[in-house]
Amino acid sequence: MSLQTLTQKILSAKVGRDVREGEIIFPEPDLIVVHDWYSANAGRTLRQFGVERLYAPDKVMFVTDHEPIAVSAESAAKQAEIRDIARQFAIGHHFDVGRGGHGHLFPVEAGFVTPGMFVEAYDTHVPNYGAVGALGFPMLNEIVEVMALGSVWIRVPATIRIRLRGRLTPGVLIRDFAQKLIADLDADLVNYTVVEFSGPAMEHISVDERFTLCNTPIEIGAKSAIAEPDDVVREYLSERVQCDIDLPRSDADAPFVHAAEYDLTTIEPYVAVPPIPDRVVPISAVAGRPVDHAFVGSCASGSLNDLREAARYLKGRRIDPRVRLFITPGTQAILRAAIAQGLMDIFSCAGAIITAPGCGPCAGGRIGALGRGEVSINTGTRNDPGRLGARDSEIYLASPATVAVSAITGRITDPREFARGTS
Amino acid sequence: MTDSSADFIRRGRCWVFGDNVCNDGDMIPFHFVLAREQRPEVLKDHCMIGLDPEFPRKAAPGDLVIAGRRFAQGNAHIQAFFALRGLGLSVAVESIPRSSLRNCISAGVLILPECAGVTATVHTGEDVEIDFRTGRLTNHTRGAAHAYRPLDEALLQIIQRGGWEAHFRDRLAARRSA
Repeated sequence: MSLQTLTQKILSAKVGRDVREGEIIFPEPDLIVVHDWYSANAGRTLRQFGVERLYAPDKVMFVTDHEPIAVSAESAAKQAEIRDIARQFAIGHHFDVGRGGHGHLFPVEAGFVTPGMFVEAYDTHVPNYGAVGALGFPMLNEIVEVMALGSVWIRVPATIRIRLRGRLTPGVLIRDFAQKLIADLDADLVNYTVVEFSGPAMEHISVDERFTLCNTPIEIGAKSAIAEPDDVVREYLSERVQCDIDLPRSDADAPFVHAAEYDLTTIEPYVAVPPIPDRVVPISAVAGRPVDHAFVGSCASGSLNDLREAARYLKGRRIDPRVRLFITPGTQAILRAAIAQGLMDIFSCAGAIITAPGCGPCAGGRIGALGRGEVSINTGTRNDPGRLGARDSEIYLASPATVAVSAITGRITDPREFARGTS
Repeated sequence: MTDSSADFIRRGRCWVFGDNVCNDGDMIPFHFVLAREQRPEVLKDHCMIGLDPEFPRKAAPGDLVIAGRRFAQGNAHIQAFFALRGLGLSVAVESIPRSSLRNCISAGVLILPECAGVTATVHTGEDVEIDFRTGRLTNHTRGAAHAYRPLDEALLQIIQRGGWEAHFRDRLAARRSA
């Protein structure tokens, strides 16, 4: 057997033979996830193509995260249509309104996703599953082909290896590194690769933080991202799954198309400025800019750890009267844990509003939108013009710590100025 | 294999564009994306008009769009490629983001996706021939030829079949008869 990357090993296991980079294969995913803004279209397309039975309905999961609280009669009707489709096609897992939460987070916390799994999903940010060493590939309309026939063509991607060492310093979060990384990497190099994270720093990087790490590379064209599964993952999953946990890894001399190493000690707070997520500057370049709107949440930064980091700064403080701050726990379980740990009390005392678990405002600004000329600092995934409402509004992306302190001061603020006084 | 090699050869005038041609705006007006218009016969009249308003009238079936790095970059919407298909065009580019390459295949448009330096070898209006199966580009005007890595045969077959919908129907039919 030739030397293989983790991605090649996962895909080889799916097709029953060793695969080479660049090869076209039809691997069958272990799980297929479709979110609430596409489930109805998927059902209609299946009917249009005359599909009556899915290939493996038990492997299909519908999640309700983009619009858990229907904001119109049309939305409510669509939710009803999704329930019909789930019944007609015997969808194995339908997490309806108020069940589960964000489809890129709760399937991991609920133990549906384990190291070495291959997942295909209708949505860009399924690489989040790389947090536990699973390989998630996004699909668009072709997800119905996977639902109907069990697979779709993919090209075996190359892998970029990012090795991490050192520890982040106070006030700096993994989101800062994740943003710095996609600013550093050449988009042409990253195109269609899997970005793999490993190295001695990983023993200090929680699964919650790995969601953030694996979430961002897709913004510059990566096919997916994956953190080499290790004891951190084994321990995280030990209380969530019953089966034995295997920890597949890349061979040491596997053919990586590019490799880079970062010392996390050197990372400072970074902010992505409009209009693209990889236009990233050190916070000093934008500090002082007034903000109207702030948001902590999304698949990139909606974990319990993210909420804890925001609460660390908001505890005992109130946000600036000119700012509205939205807090979106990623999942129902995160919401419960945040209540139990007193975080929701901190947020509401600070003047923040707490939304239903899921994507929150990041799903196109359907809730908590931006008005004309307004400025937001938030932990969402993208900052394209109009992403959260008015086309001429501006979105700055930053860590939960930077968002929290900026909501307090009403201006983009370096959390390190606050970090000394927090615990 | 029932198709003949000639099915993968196109010859016509080439239309050369630079780097970073944007999917929305450059290749297709954004309102067609919002309207989810997917008919090639409608979209063809708006193909590439963000860069050249006369393009739909000047380009002829068989012509070749040749572009630089990150062709169809930005949010990948398939309308841009249905427009190219409507005009009967094929594509050779220095690079293309993965999601746009997938759209190109789904729309049934022949492409050479990795032609490093190709824009320096051609001028708009020259007589160019591309064999998409072998990756050979011949510039008849200049009497020069270049070799590039072709798309995988399995993907060429999807394009030749007419794109994703036809390919999906074929697979469904094959399952039913199995």
